[in-house]
Amino acid sequence: MSMLSDLLLRLRAIVFRRAEDRELEEELRVHVEMEEEYRRRSGVSHAEAHRQAVMALGGVERVKEDVRDARRTRAFFDGAGDVRFAFRTLRRNPVFAAVAVLTLAIGIGGATAVFSAVDTVLLAPLPYSQPGRLVRLYNTDVRAPNDHGFVTPVHFLEYRDGMSSFASVAAVMTYDAVGADIGRGDRARRIRVLPVSADYFDVLGVRPALGRAFSRDDEHGGMNETVQPSRIAVISHRLWQEELRGDPSAIGGSIVMDGASYRIAGVMPASFVDPLVPRADAWTPENLDPGRDPSNATNHYLTVIARLRPTLSIGAAQAELTALATRLGVKYPDARDTRARLDPLKDDMVAPTATALEIMLGAVALVLLIVCVNIATLMLVRGSQRQREFAVRTALGGQRARIVRQMLVESIVIALVGDVAGLAVARAGMAAIVRLGDGNIPRLSSLALDPRLLMFSIALSTLCALIFGAAPAVRAARTRPGDVLRGEGRGASSGRGQVRLRGALVAAQVALAFVLAVGAGLLLSSFAQLRRVDLGFRSADVLTFEAHLPGSRYDSTARAAFYDDLAAAIEREPGVRAAGGTSRLPATGSYNSWGTRPLSGPLVNTKIDHSSLEQRVISGDYFAALGVPRLAGRLFEAGDDAHAPPRVVISKSAAQLLFPGVDPIGQQLRTGGITWTVIGVVADVALDIEGHVEPTLYHAHRQFAGDRNWALTQVVSTMGNVDAVAASSRRVVSGIDPLLVMYHPAPLDDVLGRGNATRTFTLRLLLAFAGVAIALALLGLYGVLAYAVRLRAREFGIRMALGASPSAIRSMVLRQGLIVTSSGLAAGVIGAAALSRVMTSLLFHVKPMEPAVLVVTALVMWGVGVLAAYVPARQATAADPRNVLS
Amino acid sequence: MSDDRVELLQGTLEMLVLKTLALDPMHGWGIAHRIQWMSRDVFLVTQGSLYPALVRMRRRGWLKTSWRVTENGRRARYYELTPAGRRTLTTQHTAWERASAAIDHIMGVRLWVSEGA
Repeated sequence: MSMLSDLLLRLRAIVFRRAEDRELEEELRVHVEMEEEYRRRSGVSHAEAHRQAVMALGGVERVKEDVRDARRTRAFFDGAGDVRFAFRTLRRNPVFAAVAVLTLAIGIGGATAVFSAVDTVLLAPLPYSQPGRLVRLYNTDVRAPNDHGFVTPVHFLEYRDGMSSFASVAAVMTYDAVGADIGRGDRARRIRVLPVSADYFDVLGVRPALGRAFSRDDEHGGMNETVQPSRIAVISHRLWQEELRGDPSAIGGSIVMDGASYRIAGVMPASFVDPLVPRADAWTPENLDPGRDPSNATNHYLTVIARLRPTLSIGAAQAELTALATRLGVKYPDARDTRARLDPLKDDMVAPTATALEIMLGAVALVLLIVCVNIATLMLVRGSQRQREFAVRTALGGQRARIVRQMLVESIVIALVGDVAGLAVARAGMAAIVRLGDGNIPRLSSLALDPRLLMFSIALSTLCALIFGAAPAVRAARTRPGDVLRGEGRGASSGRGQVRLRGALVAAQVALAFVLAVGAGLLLSSFAQLRRVDLGFRSADVLTFEAHLPGSRYDSTARAAFYDDLAAAIEREPGVRAAGGTSRLPATGSYNSWGTRPLSGPLVNTKIDHSSLEQRVISGDYFAALGVPRLAGRLFEAGDDAHAPPRVVISKSAAQLLFPGVDPIGQQLRTGGITWTVIGVVADVALDIEGHVEPTLYHAHRQFAGDRNWALTQVVSTMGNVDAVAASSRRVVSGIDPLLVMYHPAPLDDVLGRGNATRTFTLRLLLAFAGVAIALALLGLYGVLAYAVRLRAREFGIRMALGASPSAIRSMVLRQGLIVTSSGLAAGVIGAAALSRVMTSLLFHVKPMEPAVLVVTALVMWGVGVLAAYVPARQATAADPRNVLS
Repeated sequence: MSDDRVELLQGTLEMLVLKTLALDPMHGWGIAHRIQWMSRDVFLVTQGSLYPALVRMRRRGWLKTSWRVTENGRRARYYELTPAGRRTLTTQHTAWERASAAIDHIMGVRLWVSEGA
């Protein structure tokens, strides 16, 4: 009796919530009291009167609901009540609520962020007019048609004049170092400036929003010219806003870059993003006059893009290009093996990233699956937990339909809260993706939250919560109240069936998490392999930085003096071993290559297999700074300047290639239109992070004094105090020229990590996803085992009463956990095999199904499984058998 | 005593409530007991049917409510007729009398066929 009134009180607390409900409740309570009093007056005992009154009351729940029906409140108000009730119930179960919301947030947020990234980078068409007609043009070698070489100015000009397939074609200088200082004092900063040929914006089909684009006449003046009759620039909308406050009269006005004044020809639309250098802020006309440099037919440094004529296939254009390139091989004997190929611009931009993003897409689909499974498991557990509450409500006359509806509302509330949290996760996730991939993943900087994707994921999650919330609700509502209220019997056995179902769901989670973890493990092991690659130089404790010399104040002679002075001055600083500069850091990819021909030795006048060799221009003690050993001859000395005959240091593989079987010292070769004498041989260094070696020629920077401007990246080998040397180097730079700024000081190891951006990007995201997946699987496993232990408490009690040791009980539970984990792992191996095949292109010195990775990942998962099973296993033996049995 | 009870005809509960309230405002328990008492324990009005009916009648504007203190010092919700409620009572009463007279008539006719059976 007291239990019943207690239940009534509790039900009242749960159920009556609106003012009207409270009034009705009060009314009913008074009714019961009056009834009780009435019966007492007729001579019934106090207790009996109470009993009769409560009996006469009938189902309070039923009355309440009938009243509500009579009130015929609109469903909305009932819904609002359900929503409030759902919130309150969830507040009372914060762990369940938090896990469910977190799970959904991760699923929705992660999926939306990654789908948005994939959509932005891979799927969306290029934001230019008729993007399907845009192609990128590469120079190749007749022997290596799949090369992706830069284009020489000579070839570019011939293509521009000779290709009828092209509506327009443009060349761009995409060197990393191309940039300019703008602003003064505190507002001084460096922007990216792209020297482009006149037709660049025509190729893209984008007109400036203000002013005009370039004309062919503008090409006779550009960044690389020391003396220019007129400098003009097209600037980005952002730069226009930042530097000129968006003043329309800025057109025809000027902007100072690198200390030189440029007339502003036009301002690009705000929406324009450069396809090659997304953060480019200004474009200047590039001087492509081939007459000044006879070596231009072998000097590959231009990025070329073109727009095909309408209705012309890329194959037809390729055929015309091949025919033209063959004719050019006759016209320029130096370049007789040079051919060219066309790739769709979009494929070209996304190809290096496509695999990574596709893997991310797969990973996020897996996580989404895990999230759904997890939500289903949670809802099942919750449904079982609340069976008793539902049974009581049903017994008291509560309508089952209402109970189901309330469960649904609860699911929807969870889904909506999860959606909101997911939106936050999506925003954070996209910011992280942009940060992780920025500058390296093309188009990523334009990543924005797509409302359609957001709607989709919200719909998906709500549907997921509805389906997985409704099933247990229907099931719980259908349970016979008597069974549940008696606490044992059929209720428990159907519970076991649910445990088996949940076990299968958790095994599925383990399998999915395993697949992700294997993927992450394979990439991690690729990374470890990469770290072990001998790059041929010392990268630890090396500082790198840039100091950009404005063309307005530095001609090539002043540059040569500056770089020499800088290296010498830094070497005088404490903690510095050696300092030098290079036109391109080693192991960061190919940079520029000139056609090269030996003028002496056994291969004189013989065509070399390689149409080109990598060329580097260096200053100071470059080889010493990177610990590249000298193998023969000598390195550059102070006397190897513009007045001395051209001298070259070559790499070991270059020596073997150009002068096989003879002493390379003193041999002569021709490259870049100049005849050079070999003075020394150094060891090979890696061209890229994977350790590939390319024959390389090294030139002394000061030999170009008065001829060509080279921008050199500085390298400083330190005794371990990179930060301190960075600070002292900064002082040295401003000591030599107070107007100069030191850019991008960074340890060389970090810079090389960037050189491998796609793999790093994928690895970080995959690791994050794998971590999330494992955590979700752990939660799921724990939840199922904990619940199973509660269901079997009586059985465990009996077993222990009959003499089973606690450790035997514990190992029973642990075994259950391991069976679930193991069956998940077994299924996961199949998935992992599929994933790793996709990943092959990202792997380095690692087999797709590397046994070590599989074993280690499986062990980690088993460890997680034991961990998740341990707590419930302890709980299984914690209860006193007497209590359980009584 | 419950053996003698009769299910209320559909729709008559509202009329009985209106009639019960015609003299004085009354709370829910009072209405239920008044009907039971006036019907000499033939009709037992349960809360399950009474309160939904009260809500329906309020919604139709036949009743208004107020919280008052009973003679025993309890706060209870009192129901009282509105003018619309009184009009409805009159209408329903008239209709009931006609219907019940008709039913009485039908039920009161002696049929010789059935007597012979």
